Amino acid sequence: MGYDPANPMKDRITDIGPPHYAQFYPQVIKDNHGKWLYHEILKPGVLKHVSESGAECYTVRCASARLISISLIRDMCDIADKHCDGVLRFTTRNNVEFMVDSAAKLQPLVDACNAHGMLPIGGTGASVSNPVHTQGWVHCHTPATDASGVVKAVMDELFEYFTSMKLPAKVRVALACCLNMCGAVHCSDIAILGVHRKPPLIDNDTISAVCELPLAVAACPLGAIKPAKGINSAGEEVKSVAINNDRCMFCGNCYTMCPSLPLADAEGDGIAILVGGKISNARSMPKFSKMVIPFLPNTPPRWPETVAAVKNILEVYAKDARKYERVGEWAERIGWEKFFEKCNIPFSDKCIDDYRLAYTTWRTSTQFKFTSHIK
Amino acid sequence: MPKHDTPLLDQLESGPWPSFVSDLKRQAEQNPQCWDILGQLELSYVDKITHWKHGGIVGVFGYGGGIVGRYSDVPKQFPGVAHFHTVRVNQPSSKFYNTKVLRQICEIWERRGSGMTNMHGSTGDMVLLGTFTEQLEEIFYELTHDVGVDLGGSGGNLRTPSCCLGKARCEWACYDTAAACHHITNAYQDELHRPAFPYKFKTKFSGCPNDCVAAIARSDLSVIGNWRDNIRINQAEVKGYLKGDYAPSGGAFSGRDWGKFDIQKEVIALCPTGCMWMEGDVLKIDDAECTHCMHCINVMPRALRPGVVTGATILMGAKAPILDGAQMSTLVVPFIKMDMENEFAEYKAIIEKAWDWWMEEGKNRERIGETAQRVGLPAFLKVMEVEPIPQHVKEPRSNPYVFWKDEEVEGGFERSLAEFRKKHPM
Amino acid sequence: MAADREQIKAKILEEMAKAKKPALYLKDMHKWLEDVSPREIKNAANELVKESKLKFWSSGSSTMYTLPDRAKDEDARGV
Repeated sequence: MGYDPANPMKDRITDIGPPHYAQFYPQVIKDNHGKWLYHEILKPGVLKHVSESGAECYTVRCASARLISISLIRDMCDIADKHCDGVLRFTTRNNVEFMVDSAAKLQPLVDACNAHGMLPIGGTGASVSNPVHTQGWVHCHTPATDASGVVKAVMDELFEYFTSMKLPAKVRVALACCLNMCGAVHCSDIAILGVHRKPPLIDNDTISAVCELPLAVAACPLGAIKPAKGINSAGEEVKSVAINNDRCMFCGNCYTMCPSLPLADAEGDGIAILVGGKISNARSMPKFSKMVIPFLPNTPPRWPETVAAVKNILEVYAKDARKYERVGEWAERIGWEKFFEKCNIPFSDKCIDDYRLAYTTWRTSTQFKFTSHIK
Repeated sequence: MPKHDTPLLDQLESGPWPSFVSDLKRQAEQNPQCWDILGQLELSYVDKITHWKHGGIVGVFGYGGGIVGRYSDVPKQFPGVAHFHTVRVNQPSSKFYNTKVLRQICEIWERRGSGMTNMHGSTGDMVLLGTFTEQLEEIFYELTHDVGVDLGGSGGNLRTPSCCLGKARCEWACYDTAAACHHITNAYQDELHRPAFPYKFKTKFSGCPNDCVAAIARSDLSVIGNWRDNIRINQAEVKGYLKGDYAPSGGAFSGRDWGKFDIQKEVIALCPTGCMWMEGDVLKIDDAECTHCMHCINVMPRALRPGVVTGATILMGAKAPILDGAQMSTLVVPFIKMDMENEFAEYKAIIEKAWDWWMEEGKNRERIGETAQRVGLPAFLKVMEVEPIPQHVKEPRSNPYVFWKDEEVEGGFERSLAEFRKKHPM
Repeated sequence: MAADREQIKAKILEEMAKAKKPALYLKDMHKWLEDVSPREIKNAANELVKESKLKFWSSGSSTMYTLPDRAKDEDARGV
């Protein structure tokens, strides 16, 4: 009868792993597993898959905010119970997908999603798909910006690109609230990245109690942290560290290992924009996103500078790129100097790599364009 | 009734994108601690800084992962979130659910947590967001006994494996990603629940080179479906595309008038290897030159399909930037079979070889891709017992600094100076 | 011939008690047990956790081991 704190090992079940996926498949998927022939996107957010057997699976894809309540999950369950024999799935990009096995069942399902109000349909084909993002200020201890709020503000502005398919190719937007990049934004078409810009404070009142100093020293990739004596607020000498601020690249790895080295700061923290990454191997190889705007301030609740920057890049790309060209493929074709010019983004030394292996990004050629950057 | 004024967050209730603020307020009617989530988040919006602190010893007994500890730094103001620990629940392959299981989990989370979730976290787990230390064992008991689900990974463990949709609903899957993910997750439950490694280890299963779970960018061991025979062509359907019967890319570009489909411009000219051409209205592909990029298949899904000799390409070492900069996975084994019949034996041989080496050679908090970079790709390939082939590099090295070994050089490194001086006096 | 499980466990506890640092990685245990495979050390350490003789300490991103009475945790920080 439930967990017994007095006897925690009683009937304990461990290492059972996840439940078997196949029990959750809709019937049409059970029947046609591995037999799918082709698919079509009937309209934004609505997919049709056709099997060798002639069977059809219709999917309606709706965005979620990723940070969602059990009330909303129960609403999703209600829709699945009513329309989809009690089955639904989620995508890697935090969408929810409802599936039915005939065209006749599709419209009532679409109507139910539309009637809900929190389940916008879209994110397929040449659209801005649902941004993957991290926790931000709602749960994380190392963020340089919020996640859910920035994404909400950006997607309110880009909403028409989620519900349509009018871009030159799919555009993956992603946000990570610090350089740890739990959201793995580093291969996204447009990446919104939280960055710190002030070196850590040293809390000598707590450092020897809560930190393993050798770990804090070892945590710095640039050797900027050394063991040193410090003075606490009572005027006593304590074992602590010293930080060479000139060598700090604000990665926050020391704070991850030692809570007495906080670096978050209202003015220091903000957002960098990186563009041109991709995962897919289609046409060109996968690419990293490249930094084009090194800093925008944190301006909650709606981060107007970040929203404007993302929208500007998206719309210049939408106008200028060729069909099938991802943002990075477009930027490489026209040249990054043209990218900065067309997007009217000032170029600065912050966009030139000076970290390890930086040389691979420097231009060792006479091939360049005479853009407005050349005076 | 709201417990705190949230004038800044309230501004995120308008607009067409789903509002997490409205959602939190709705949930607060059942789980009042959501008011404190909103209150503390509003404070962060004012202060422009987080109010959460580090983790610590929280977890369920005997597991080194699955729970991430979190504490408020302003618990007196927001007692409902004084503890705000995360429970990572191992998702089923491809994230299919029936509503019975979801409702069971919702019910547990309404009683024992904040009622807020992530569907899903970046790694793939279902994330139950925010509960108190004393609830953890109770939640674990109910999840394992009543729902039949287990916790996912955190810390220096195997992290919860994840996969794409695969053969369930995709015509391009070159192996059964859901079966592989499920089997591997179960085979390595010990590595998933108890620390084993210098740092985290992620593995992800994508069914084709489109890589919908981003395995190449974010998994230490990326398993990406591939084929080694010929693209299957249905010439009748090619003619359908030529005549305009079908929209290219299944209609993915239908929101704009891009003009009539032009196979020359949209497929043949964009093929990165130039291995396609038309002979009349017949499409030809020189498959020996094909690099399996998927572009032509993506554009003409009715006419073209991956081949039938299918399996996976193994790439290793991807990670986010901390510390040495971001890495993508590097090709290690060009092709393996991924079969349930032999319980993915080839995959297991690779992952276990890599783990045994990394457990020995890896430094604390060093991802395997960083260890591999530290020792160099040639040394890493030797560890993996893989013959070096041109496919392992984009291009051969341009510097001449080869680390020749004693045994590789005729006569070895040991030489007599006396013999040398006989011919070359100083 | 590798040392048996109980010997490995005894060595781990002995060294953990002597160690300056209260929390250690698995990796740190390797140098006490040079002839023992990392996998065997891992299994022994995790068995000690099952026996409540060691505890896990997790930052979320990495995991360490501590003796139960030497744990630096939130309680120690006065939360």
